[in-house]
Amino acid sequence: MKPVAFDYQRPASVEDAVALLQAHGRSAKLLSGGQSLGPMLNMRLVRPEVVIDLNDLLELDYVREAADVIEIGALTRHHRLATAPEILRALPLLAYAAATIGHFAIRQRGTIGGSLVHADPAAQLPLVAVTLAAEIVLRSAAGTRSIPAADFLQNVMTVDLNEDEMVVAIRFPKPSAAKAGWGMRLFSRRRGDFAIVSAAVWLRRNPDGRLADMRLGLGGVAPVPFRLHDLEDPDDEGAPGESWASDLAGQAAQRVEPEDAPGLPAVYRRELACNLLRGALTDALSLAGERHG
Amino acid sequence: MNRPFGKCQMRVNGAETPFAAAPGRRLSEVLREDLGLTGTKVGCDAGDCGACTVLLDGAAVCACLTPSVRADGAEVVTVEGLGALVPRLQRSFLRHGAAQCGICTPGMLVAAAGLLRGTPAPDRAEVEEALGGVLCRCTGYAKIVDAVCDSAFEADPGEASPGPAAGAAVGARLERLDGGPKVTGAEMYGADHLPEGALEVRAIRSPHHAARFALGDVAAWAAAAPAPVHVFTAADIPGENLFGTIPVFVDQPALAEAHVRQRGEAVAIVVGETAALDALDFAAFPVTWQPEEAVTDLSAPLPDLHAGRPGNELIRGVVRCGDAIMALAGAAHVAEVTVDTAYVEHAYIEPEAGTAWIDGDTLVIRACTQAPVMDRDETAKVLGLPAERVRVIPAATGGGFGAKLDLSLQPLIGLAALKTGRPCRMVYSRAESMASTTKRHPARMTGRIGCDTAGRVTGMTFDGDFNTGAYASWGPTVAVRVPVHASGPYRMEHYHAVARAMHTNGPAAGAFRGFGVPQAALVQETLFDDLARAAGIDRLEFRLRNALVDGDRTVCGQRPGGIGIRDCLVALSVAWNRALAEAAAFNEAQGVVRRGVGVASCWYGCGNTGLPNPSTVRVGITAAGRLVLHQGAMDIGQGANTVVAQLCADALGLPVGQVSLVDGDTAKTPDCGKTSASRQTYVTGKAAMLAGRALRGTILAMSNMGEDAALSLEGDVLRVHDGRGSRDIRLADLPVDAHGYVLAAEETYDPPTVGLDADGQGEPYAVYGYGAQMAEVEVDTALGTVKVRRMTAAHDLGRVVNPLLAEGQVEGGIAQGLGMALMEEYVPGRTENLHDYLIPTFGDMPEIRSIFVEKPDPEGPMGVKGLGEHVLIPTAPAILNAIRHATGARITRLPALPHRVLAAIRAAR
Repeated sequence: MKPVAFDYQRPASVEDAVALLQAHGRSAKLLSGGQSLGPMLNMRLVRPEVVIDLNDLLELDYVREAADVIEIGALTRHHRLATAPEILRALPLLAYAAATIGHFAIRQRGTIGGSLVHADPAAQLPLVAVTLAAEIVLRSAAGTRSIPAADFLQNVMTVDLNEDEMVVAIRFPKPSAAKAGWGMRLFSRRRGDFAIVSAAVWLRRNPDGRLADMRLGLGGVAPVPFRLHDLEDPDDEGAPGESWASDLAGQAAQRVEPEDAPGLPAVYRRELACNLLRGALTDALSLAGERHG
Repeated sequence: MNRPFGKCQMRVNGAETPFAAAPGRRLSEVLREDLGLTGTKVGCDAGDCGACTVLLDGAAVCACLTPSVRADGAEVVTVEGLGALVPRLQRSFLRHGAAQCGICTPGMLVAAAGLLRGTPAPDRAEVEEALGGVLCRCTGYAKIVDAVCDSAFEADPGEASPGPAAGAAVGARLERLDGGPKVTGAEMYGADHLPEGALEVRAIRSPHHAARFALGDVAAWAAAAPAPVHVFTAADIPGENLFGTIPVFVDQPALAEAHVRQRGEAVAIVVGETAALDALDFAAFPVTWQPEEAVTDLSAPLPDLHAGRPGNELIRGVVRCGDAIMALAGAAHVAEVTVDTAYVEHAYIEPEAGTAWIDGDTLVIRACTQAPVMDRDETAKVLGLPAERVRVIPAATGGGFGAKLDLSLQPLIGLAALKTGRPCRMVYSRAESMASTTKRHPARMTGRIGCDTAGRVTGMTFDGDFNTGAYASWGPTVAVRVPVHASGPYRMEHYHAVARAMHTNGPAAGAFRGFGVPQAALVQETLFDDLARAAGIDRLEFRLRNALVDGDRTVCGQRPGGIGIRDCLVALSVAWNRALAEAAAFNEAQGVVRRGVGVASCWYGCGNTGLPNPSTVRVGITAAGRLVLHQGAMDIGQGANTVVAQLCADALGLPVGQVSLVDGDTAKTPDCGKTSASRQTYVTGKAAMLAGRALRGTILAMSNMGEDAALSLEGDVLRVHDGRGSRDIRLADLPVDAHGYVLAAEETYDPPTVGLDADGQGEPYAVYGYGAQMAEVEVDTALGTVKVRRMTAAHDLGRVVNPLLAEGQVEGGIAQGLGMALMEEYVPGRTENLHDYLIPTFGDMPEIRSIFVEKPDPEGPMGVKGLGEHVLIPTAPAILNAIRHATGARITRLPALPHRVLAAIRAAR
């Protein structure tokens, strides 16, 4: 199959891009890495009148580190996310997630902005953005706004993006690295495929071994990835014990209500969530240092 | 409209190349259609298969997802440019047998080249990571990884090793004779040939599993198109609008008339210039559908789909000997199981493609195929032409595995060419290939087997329903073959097996590597594990006690010679004991992950079941001294071009390196039948051996030399010499025959069989092949996931003609068997792409060790037996038996998806 006929625009600046968006609105599709939009165009699952190709906007391909935030341009490719020293150092969870996306060729082209806007419920980057409380920076001809990732992702492949807006950057707060640990577990039936269920954890321990801070995210069990806020408060009972990961994962599994899908019963999906979260918790705790209590 | 841009230019394979980009035009299209660089293949247009991988500014990308305009100013490397970049890599692919059908080879090579530029001596993990996005359906990947890892150590190009000497071809580890074009990108597949002035053909297909339909004002729709197009429907078909594979069961319309019985069935074709078709809205094609109640599986009855097939039973096959019921009643141990299997898609990386044109009064079809002569005859019938006015030129075929035995686009492009007088090309999309072509039969099978206290099998019953889908295709072959083989290669005096091919609205199920035998083997081989446990006998030993040996009668009453199953099982015994001990040691840790070992056997009759299936081979020498072999056995990657030439060359007594091949073009080459039923190495190989021997006889008689004389072909002189003297035959002095040869022979061979009687008794095959495989698996008992760690495969080939190619068959067959066991489940309407339908990729494949047993067959050429289908029959049951051994879980529904494994583990606790 081939795409439907469309007009093609190749803006040279973000200003031009948002001007084009303002002119064409809903009839336009933004093209970044093209690894999801490409097949959808080829199969005529989307039939835009205008495609606005963002790939000349090198100004959006950057990783910028500030004191308490790492800002990543929307056009930054997965391969760079997985290998940039700043990200490997300050956001290893993001680097790991990016390295698990698709195959080599896909990571050469796919972008963080594209992945977030596409909002596949099983995709890695939306899960990490939600877990690490990233802010999504949006631009339109009228100006700039930013919105938490958890609010940006509204439903299956649906995001809070006005028809004249585009994602220009993603801001990740830089978590403290001291006694911090992270874990990410993904389940797919075949390497390189979209995960069916995924779990991401970031945590930090006090010098006495008790948890100081924790974030838990699950993907693939709801229309959008989400954080388990009510399980994130560290309890006061001291350092995590033997059954900590299992107990927490078990409680998390009770909170998810996945749906049956062909070849994948909801009950199995819930079990996966429990298993993967337990594994991610264990990995995170171990990275954060030996038990003290 | 898709306005062209201003001037674009890219540097392709080192050459500055202007090109016209247009919105929506992909780099893959520009390379293939505009620049003629057809080495870049298109398998899915969705980034799933990686066949279109090119280097864009040094990075591997999918050209099908790259807008052509993105290549403006960029450096692009395609397979055609690799010779300069990584010359040793291509040689390494050939030497390792890393290319079979060759359709994935360009993508693999390009992805590897991207890796090798920065990492000249990569390890296996690095290769798997870099090539992981490129799918292969033939090789099982191991030889591809080997070829990339070893490429740095390859000799300089040009230093080709001399081939085997005269008489030493059979048994040599010879790289494929037809491999060169597969690694340079020069091989021409069905989609790669675009004759001047060709029109494109696209089909309008049913979105429903069953429907009545009415065409609207098709002429008005065509007339309203922005550019001229033609529409042809069933009413335009000049001949009999039915095709099939077996004369009495022919039932499939080339274009449906008023009624569709399966999704994806074509109801019309639209023909026009590519740009005209691209501009059309096919969704607006004037057809009204009245969907009907449809059932695509065996779960519910449905009204009869075809007249004369009451209850939707197409045919039933039976084999009966002794009294199985009585034997089971008296058995010390009896085991019973019901197994369900899924639709399995062939998933060759090349969707169907081909061209048709008129040459004088002949319609020429050049398309992918496994059966050129059958294509010619069926297409001629549909188009109302005498067979001699249709010529089929087989295109290089990018995988077949059974589905390219049936007609697909041949009558459609033929009709378009006849009606328009123009050359016409059709290229199936991945989705239409998957929706409209045949599948492996889903089966629901129940088996019971009994044994005595010593573990000797006393009797077996087997009853299977095989969902043959909407049309007959090869359903009758499956129904007849299954009862013959469901016993496995074991002694069973009391046996009763029935298999029915049942129609549903699912896709027509046809031939797929093994014709139903891989499904049936699941029943017998898992029951053998039950019985071995019940009798307290080691599972391998249990099989050895029951294995057929020469002199035994099969369930059909036949006494084949050269039965090699015992030898195969014995060949596994060392590995078996080692693996059992390793698994036991591993499992002592009582961890979440458990290891297990399983074994299963196979046998498989080569060729048609009790029916004629001759091959005819012509070999000739021209006046200029060219040795030409007309080799009509379609090589779809398995290696017929090479092994048939090896057999012929050794029989003739000239080096195989001197053989020039002529393919299965129906205007040039005698009929070698279908590439199916593991028959080509045996049947065509035997015809080739006989032809080689006959030509040798002629030469020896001419020169009055003895049987032990040696031949050498030097220019236009054929020298015949022995210890006593030498005679020269000056070829230019000899008269030329009608085929252009001065010396030639043509021989036909048809396997001697005896048709089956009402109880399935007879001699259905003249040659059988045997094998046994051992699986070592790891099961995560928390997630239900299964990782196959190692497969050890012992196969009796009678005589190994080419160990390199034989290993390729084993590794590729195991990959397909593993897919069938663990991941492959085609659901009509839901998995019509290669990301919802999963086939194994690099990371899924275990280490594979091939062991070849040579127990010569008295009938096969030089003792040869078939191999191609045997290799996947034991894989799935061996894996299931290993899962059972690891966890106690008894899997009765394939594929063994994680949630099913988990449920079975819990049921076993």
